[in-house]
Amino acid sequence: MTGLSALRARARALLARRGAVVGINRRNLALVYPNNARNDYPLADDKLLAKELFVAAGVPVPETLAVCDGLFAVPATIEALRGQRDFVVKPANGSGGGGILVVGGWEAGRSCWLLAGGVPLSPVTLGRHLADIVFGVHSNQLEDRAFVERRIVPHALFSSLWADGLCDIRVITLRSVPVMSMIRVPTAESGGRANLHQGGLGIAVDLATGRTFRALHHGRAIERHPESGAPLLGLELPAWPEVLEVSRRAARAVPLGYLGVDVVVDRDRGPLVLEINVRPGLEIQNVNGAGLGPAIARAEGTA
Amino acid sequence: MQLSHHGKVALTITALVGVALGLVSYKVSRLGYSLADVLPATQYELTYALSFDGHGGDVRVRSFLPTSGAHQTVSDERDVSSGLHLAQAMEGANRVATWTGAEVRDGSEIRHTFKVLARRVSYDIPPELPVPESYPPSVAAYLRPEKAIQVDAPEIGATVERIRSAEGPLLERLRKIYDLTVALTPRPFKGTTDALTALRLGEASCNGKSRLFVALARASGIPARLVGGLIMQPGAKRTSHQWVEAWVAGHWVPFCPLNRHFAELPERYLVLYYGDESLFTHTKDINFDYRFETRSALVPSPRAKASFTFVDVWGLFDRLNLPFSLLRTILMLPVGALVVVLFRNVVGMPTFGTFLPALLAAAAGETGAVFGVVAVVITVAVVAAVRWGMQRLELLHSPTLAILLAAVVFSLLTTTLLADRLGIAPLTRVTLFPIAVLAICAERFYLSLTEHGGRAAGKELAGTLLVMLACYILMNSLALQVLVIGFPEVLFLVVAANVYLGRWVGMRLSEYRRFRGLLRVTP
Ligand SMILES: Nc1ncnc2c1ncn2[C@@H]1O[C@H](COP(=O)(O)OP(=O)(O)O)[C@@H](O)[C@H]1O
Ligand SMILES: [Mg+2]
Repeated sequence: MTGLSALRARARALLARRGAVVGINRRNLALVYPNNARNDYPLADDKLLAKELFVAAGVPVPETLAVCDGLFAVPATIEALRGQRDFVVKPANGSGGGGILVVGGWEAGRSCWLLAGGVPLSPVTLGRHLADIVFGVHSNQLEDRAFVERRIVPHALFSSLWADGLCDIRVITLRSVPVMSMIRVPTAESGGRANLHQGGLGIAVDLATGRTFRALHHGRAIERHPESGAPLLGLELPAWPEVLEVSRRAARAVPLGYLGVDVVVDRDRGPLVLEINVRPGLEIQNVNGAGLGPAIARAEGTA
Repeated sequence: MQLSHHGKVALTITALVGVALGLVSYKVSRLGYSLADVLPATQYELTYALSFDGHGGDVRVRSFLPTSGAHQTVSDERDVSSGLHLAQAMEGANRVATWTGAEVRDGSEIRHTFKVLARRVSYDIPPELPVPESYPPSVAAYLRPEKAIQVDAPEIGATVERIRSAEGPLLERLRKIYDLTVALTPRPFKGTTDALTALRLGEASCNGKSRLFVALARASGIPARLVGGLIMQPGAKRTSHQWVEAWVAGHWVPFCPLNRHFAELPERYLVLYYGDESLFTHTKDINFDYRFETRSALVPSPRAKASFTFVDVWGLFDRLNLPFSLLRTILMLPVGALVVVLFRNVVGMPTFGTFLPALLAAAAGETGAVFGVVAVVITVAVVAAVRWGMQRLELLHSPTLAILLAAVVFSLLTTTLLADRLGIAPLTRVTLFPIAVLAICAERFYLSLTEHGGRAAGKELAGTLLVMLACYILMNSLALQVLVIGFPEVLFLVVAANVYLGRWVGMRLSEYRRFRGLLRVTP
């Protein structure tokens, strides 16, 4: 008898918890479809379009150095970059880091650049890469634009987590109200990609305080970095109010109501918006150890 | 008044379900459709496999071939005989086949094949029905004695006296004769037993019991005759079967005293001839041997085809000379797509594309499920390897896809070639797979492999194959196919289910696992 009622209580508790967790079906039907009109997706998917809107709205973004919008523009782009250091080449419609080159230095003697890993990049190779981007090789479409932006030098706290690149802060916003956030940290295991499924770390950040309170690696809660051993919990993020503020302003700058805003904190310029996503992933719930449901309900109350 | 979004969805679902159920019940109640007719029937394919040594001389083999009637429908007859000529003639109700040949070699063979769809028939004999005073001459012939049916033997007369089968109404007499023959100890078939011997021994095989039944019936004033045929069972055998028919108010009504069928003929019984005949007669000393080979397959019930004529898609396809397999593939695709939706949105199983598994399942109709899976795995492996090699060339997307298509064609041809060498007949049919579907499947696998790694790609491939199997099972269900052909409106139910799932916000099964940490009740 008690066993049965205990079972029933457990089932009821499970159902209550289930209500808090947002699955893909619910995310799409209750959050994405009602808040994001499909014809506005390009504003988020095309990083250059999004950047234009952000610049117009005064949202800080990494500085754009050049845009290459066709095969004819490739030579001019290369000339413009000759001798330049610390820039990044990206496809406007890329995803998952595909087609991104991070360039560190310029070697005048050999007349070539050095990639962030130290590998040389000749002007010819860069030209071929730009042509590939323009032909849509990295974006699964027939044509695309390539653009070059200033390489971000991350704030010391972030470079202590991953020295070879960027950690970005993902802030989910509902109608411009931040709902939940985390930091995504690449690892050697993940091949430098901030992908949680490939061994990257997810660190939950308390929206109110900007303090990290939970970290996840391969679905397991951890307290220290699995590779460096550095502590991950209780870190105080730099410029947290500004991070939230640029997220809000980025969300307001586009007609999209449910977003994942990716923010990076530059050593000199502070928080910059790197990109926005119209279908932000749900793993952030596991990282935070809490479902999005209650947070969404609170945001709907304040929005 | 403005309808809420929720209201619109509910209304759409109600309308779809209402229209579907309304049409179904209209067809059943007014147009004479029967839902039972969607169940498939068993079709048997029988082969007479006859072999003999002609010693270079003349050979003549005579036998009986079945005719179509109320109990059985015979179709698709084929004859393959090594150089013999087949002549057919009707002798009374029997279709007699005679194969003749000159200079026939040793080890010659005849293979005569036909398909049979049969149904059980049974008769109700009114208990009060009297035995008539006289019969028309053609029927009265079935009262006379024959060599092995000794109607006028004293012992037969005495038995009729004893069981009093010459008095009372027809049903009572038949029942007494039937009971007596049923009670004889059954014996495995061993040559011919005449009626008298069966009676004296008190035991008999099918032909002895049947001859005794006929003799007693005739002696009791009821016209009766022997029936020769086969009991159809998948496999090969030499045993034929005999049972009887009695003349009841203008009908020949079947009885089988060996297997206890009273006034009924089971579906498996195949009638070959009437009368006390032997199934095969042939030239002497030719070392004659025979075998009956039977295979069975499920086919749509012929009654469904005959009665499902409201919107006669079936007839339309017949007129246009399009194969039935195409009709059912087309009609079952929405069902397969629903299965995919269920797996993706409710189970949360990853697959390549939304409809790829359903399309693959439709294609596997040609090869069977197992070889369908084999075909997909082979093609995906080959094409992924080619794709990997091509990656060094850094080609653009469209030419890449075009090359993959060629790779699919090559891998299918090679598979067919190898399957033919190895004698795996179903696998040779992989060429019927839609090439573009396979190419897309392989491309998805490769993309997943490069973007998400081997584990994720393998999972997606396994998911695709699993959902393909589920689709295959459902899409290849004959009963479901005939249901959709007869009642295409059930597709509205499929649409309604999709509308419902399209608004379903529930957690996918896989998400219970993914978020198990959040669902676990912490004490
Ligand atoms: N301006 C930049 N400076 C330094 N690294 C960058 C810059 N832009 C992108 N990256 C690197 O590339 C990754 C992916 O960039 P992002 O703009 O998020 O594109 P995607 O849509 O492909 O994820 C970042 O996580 C970072 O490691
Ligand atoms: Mg990104």
